[in-house]
Amino acid sequence: MTDVKFETREIGSLAKPPWRVKAFAGRPIEEGDVAEAERWAQKLGLEGTEELVETLRKDELGKDDLRLIDDWSARYGLALLERAGLDVVYDGEQRRTEMYDHVIRHARGFEPRGTIRSFDNKYYSKAAVVEEPSIDGPYDVDEYRFLAARTDRRLKAPFTGPYTVVDWSYDEHYGRHGALGATAEQRADARRRFLLDVAEHVVRPNAAAVVEAGCDWIQIDEPALSTRPDEVPIGVEAFNASVAGIPAARRSLHICFSDYTKLFPHVLSLDDCFELQLEFANRDSHELGTDGADRPGYEALFLFADNEDAPNVGLGVLDIHTNFVEPAELVRDRVVYAAELLGPERISVNPDCGLRTRSWDVAYEKLANMVEGTRLAEEALNRAHAGSH
Amino acid sequence: MQAFAPGIYPRSEALVQATRDLDRGRTSAEAVDEQVQRDLDELVRVQQEAGLDLLADGMLRWQDLFRPLLEGSDGLEPGPLTRFLDTNSFYRAPTSISGEPRLREPLDERFVAPLPGARIVTLPSPYALALGTGIRAKVLATAVLKPQLDALDADLVVLGEPFLAREGAAGLPELREALDALAGGPPLALQVTFGDAGELLRNGLAELSVEGIGVDFYATHAADVPQGLDKLLLAGVVDARSSALEDPQEIAEFVERLGVERVALVPNGDLQYVSERIARQKLARLGAAKTRRAKETAA
Repeated sequence: MTDVKFETREIGSLAKPPWRVKAFAGRPIEEGDVAEAERWAQKLGLEGTEELVETLRKDELGKDDLRLIDDWSARYGLALLERAGLDVVYDGEQRRTEMYDHVIRHARGFEPRGTIRSFDNKYYSKAAVVEEPSIDGPYDVDEYRFLAARTDRRLKAPFTGPYTVVDWSYDEHYGRHGALGATAEQRADARRRFLLDVAEHVVRPNAAAVVEAGCDWIQIDEPALSTRPDEVPIGVEAFNASVAGIPAARRSLHICFSDYTKLFPHVLSLDDCFELQLEFANRDSHELGTDGADRPGYEALFLFADNEDAPNVGLGVLDIHTNFVEPAELVRDRVVYAAELLGPERISVNPDCGLRTRSWDVAYEKLANMVEGTRLAEEALNRAHAGSH
Repeated sequence: MQAFAPGIYPRSEALVQATRDLDRGRTSAEAVDEQVQRDLDELVRVQQEAGLDLLADGMLRWQDLFRPLLEGSDGLEPGPLTRFLDTNSFYRAPTSISGEPRLREPLDERFVAPLPGARIVTLPSPYALALGTGIRAKVLATAVLKPQLDALDADLVVLGEPFLAREGAAGLPELREALDALAGGPPLALQVTFGDAGELLRNGLAELSVEGIGVDFYATHAADVPQGLDKLLLAGVVDARSSALEDPQEIAEFVERLGVERVALVPNGDLQYVSERIARQKLARLGAAKTRRAKETAA
């Protein structure tokens, strides 16, 4: 047996730095924001940031200035993930407004429909599909090329999945006529047609172009996939349609904050899906330990233990909703528990989801500890293996 | 034929901004109050213009269907943030804490706003309020909802029931027992929102001790409505989860096909799942559908 080695990677987005947010919102950038840019440049070992600092201090920002700030924001995101020690990186989606909005603003066939309450005084924007969706051309290729030219790490490009786009949109096209009093079959058919059109005409051409540009790993993000359990099968069908014919070495699927029991057995029909990246830490105890009783958040791993043909597991070990910085030893125990249950060859390590709601300081500490904890898990498993011979 | 709009109405863009600003410390609670009043005045005007028969206050201060009752009761509290059905919106799930559940005092005018005319009030169904608390629905009906109902001056109280269609007909006996405990107050209607009521209708939903039954016809097939229904049917014919605007003529023809004698046209759930601009247009179409149907009946 070769030494156990786990791959570490991010999932999705990081927060955007205040100097970027304010620049794009047209709000004044304060000296404290500039100081933050300088502090992080030093911490991340970024060189050449003088031009950024000079730009941030300008009284007025033009298009070229905003483009430069956008580029630097992506470089900071990339550097943060590299410095934390991750094996697989991206830019923390610094150039993307938000995972739903990013697609809607690049796709044809959608129109904004106003503000909806998420909860209390929190809101989100929602669009409606008004005609068959399409794109004029791929919209994430430049983002990928920019990063590929600036890192020697492996890149994993994230794409918002078709199910999430459909589920978070209104339908004024597919189910528009005859909706009142329609049968369940009619409603399901309208939904499926919408879903497959987004997969085939929006997600796939964009992802295919990124792979053609050199990316060998595409991650489809579907946080909403198990929202309606009866629709998981068409969600799987849409994943397959999204990646069909794309010669990426790896295709993976990220799902979070869901009842994973609803995914089985349907996810066994995912075409050539390398792994499911899932959130677990959010449900887990902070206590150390590698027994099942110590790791209540990881109970869903038994679904994978019972299904050897299931994709691998991208093991969420960081709770993205709290500032609690998981000690390396806690990460270690989570990884060891999963590896002992499924076999280390079926496990890789990542946060539960994107860390965009955490400050960069917290996100960095969490990720650095994730990497350290993963190394500790490797040592523990290799030591145990050596001891058994 | 009647038309009205139970449930939580969306906030205007101005109120959205005001509440966001309040959370960020950029405005005062008084300024938000003033905007709530402007939203309410506008909602009343829109309902009157649409020709709706009973006015609603839109529950503009309710953070979700349960919150003011939970915060105003002993033995209950707002629990974890929970996804509302299969939407991308969330509510604080009712949670039991130590002590007997008891509404300390009826909700004041912040939560049941005065209106210039005949009105409806929306409250949670006792089954929905009790779900997940470990407390029987009848207990919460008696200790929380009944004192609230007794304090209301309403022409109809609509009990919103978003969960029973998904939980299934096995929950009907518990609901029946709880509704029996609410008798003697203002007229009640139980509205099954955002769900297929077919199974419930086949298992006695229409025999519950309420004046009216609400059905979502964007999830329920028309054929599931029992022949000879003798209750007021709150027909959910405007889809509160779709931005598409309904055709009043299509609604009028659909209602005719239902063949039910007493019908009130309503949205199939809270209109807060569309923006205020769209909700306003939906209310106008609700009223237009009623007018169209009335003309056809007269002809």
